[in-house]
Amino acid sequence: MDVSAMIPELLSALPLTLAITFTAIIAGFCLALLATTLRVRRVPVISHLADLYVSYARSVPVVLQLFVAFYGLPLLVVLFGSEDFFSPTIAAMVALSFYHGGYLSEVMRPAYLAVDRGQHDAADSLGYTFRQKIARVVGPQAVHFALPGYGNSIIYLIHNVALVMYIGAADVMATAHLIMQRDYNQYQFETYLVLAVIYALMCLIAWLIVRFFELRSPMQAPEATTKAQIKNALIASA
Amino acid sequence: MLELKDIRLSYGSTQVLNGVNLSVKRGDVASIIGPSGTGKTTLLKCINYLAKPSSGTIAFDQIQMDYQHADKTAIQAIRLRTAMVFQQFNVFKNMTVIQNVMDPLVVVQRKSREEAREIALRELERVGLSSKQDSYPSQLSGGQLQRTGIARALAVRPDVMLFDEPTSSLDPELVGEVLKVIKDVTSSGITSLLVTHEMQFAKSISNRIIFMDRGVVAADGSPTEIFDSPSSLRLAQFLNSEHSLQ
Ligand SMILES: Nc1ncnc2c1ncn2[C@@H]1O[C@H](COP(=O)(O)OP(=O)(O)O)[C@@H](O)[C@H]1O
Ligand SMILES: [Mg+2]
Repeated sequence: MDVSAMIPELLSALPLTLAITFTAIIAGFCLALLATTLRVRRVPVISHLADLYVSYARSVPVVLQLFVAFYGLPLLVVLFGSEDFFSPTIAAMVALSFYHGGYLSEVMRPAYLAVDRGQHDAADSLGYTFRQKIARVVGPQAVHFALPGYGNSIIYLIHNVALVMYIGAADVMATAHLIMQRDYNQYQFETYLVLAVIYALMCLIAWLIVRFFELRSPMQAPEATTKAQIKNALIASA
Repeated sequence: MLELKDIRLSYGSTQVLNGVNLSVKRGDVASIIGPSGTGKTTLLKCINYLAKPSSGTIAFDQIQMDYQHADKTAIQAIRLRTAMVFQQFNVFKNMTVIQNVMDPLVVVQRKSREEAREIALRELERVGLSSKQDSYPSQLSGGQLQRTGIARALAVRPDVMLFDEPTSSLDPELVGEVLKVIKDVTSSGITSLLVTHEMQFAKSISNRIIFMDRGVVAADGSPTEIFDSPSSLRLAQFLNSEHSLQ
């Protein structure tokens, strides 16, 4: 049998890996935004709950978070009296969204706090509402500070998606194991190598996208502003 | 037009303002002088509620507010009629020079982009920054940043301009260009409160000098009264020490 035959087989599981990743990126972002807002505004009780959530997401091993979601969610659903519809994939999406959101909140909060107090003063003195100030001034600057950490958080997320096989989701990692077993474990090294390349490529693409936004930021050193310069800088950093 | 009464404010256990009284008439150009750490910046910030006094009242034409019952409408009304120029410039770092000037007009005053641009161009011309309109703050000198800050403040057409040591963070060779702009602004008749350590400059542009010391207004008078016949030992000592610095 040809070793390369397994590549398309592995790739056939990629959409699921990507679906979990993108769901976690989007839902996690929303969760992080919410948690960060609650944490920086210091609303009594609620801010503490947000703190608790973030420390759960950051300190409990991701594998464990997956198990908690996988075994916990059905209980929660029964509690609300509806049918058990939690597949491993959904449990994985929920768990990783929460994990990523908590992790990301610890990127967003310092980025928000890194924005100079004077920028708040200037916007306040001119009559900006809180929302206007965040949307026009503080948010864009915080994004600039957050981008490097955001890039890292995406990479960690991609790595952690590989753990969903422990709760039985059929991602590329799980598929690799199935292929290896079927092939009597002849091509273990080759399969893992292909897997490594797939993960490296996903991370590289994610990192390049984030880096692109970093270089495009107006707060960046002014040299890298033209398209050609951004391209060169990207190639150089890749 | 602006009257502050018995303003008190403390940070933790340190009393910063100990009952400040100050009234400003339309057209006044009043310079506030005094030792560092005496509460000059804090006092300016009380006017637009960037600092929150524990007690005292403010009256700004028809707007009245007791700081113990600060209300959002009054604060916003005052903020819309004042504009502040900061010691650290506080130009929005994510915007170009012209965006800095246009943004409050579009976002807060809801003017059209065209109108905002027109006003911004005029103000940038006035502070001599037309050629830098598309630069980002990271590309500008301190003097240019402060002139951007001044243009942004002027563009909102405030009734009162609040300058907080606008030249104190500048390299000496850049102080002149900013003072020139401020002189031009104050001579146009806009009511101004200026915290400064530039004594000669204060003397030349102000009709009033306010000496703050240890959290209160310790002297208030015309430049001649304050500089030529200081009424207290503390004031005389302060003027002497400032003089020997220059
Ligand atoms: N945000 C703050 N928190 C705590 N203390 C402050 C704060 N701002 C100012 N202070 C203190 O209040 C005092 C007065 O400060 P300030 O108004 O800046 O004085 P000035 O402008 O006259 O130099 C200083 O002792 C300063 O350390
Ligand atoms: Mg000061």
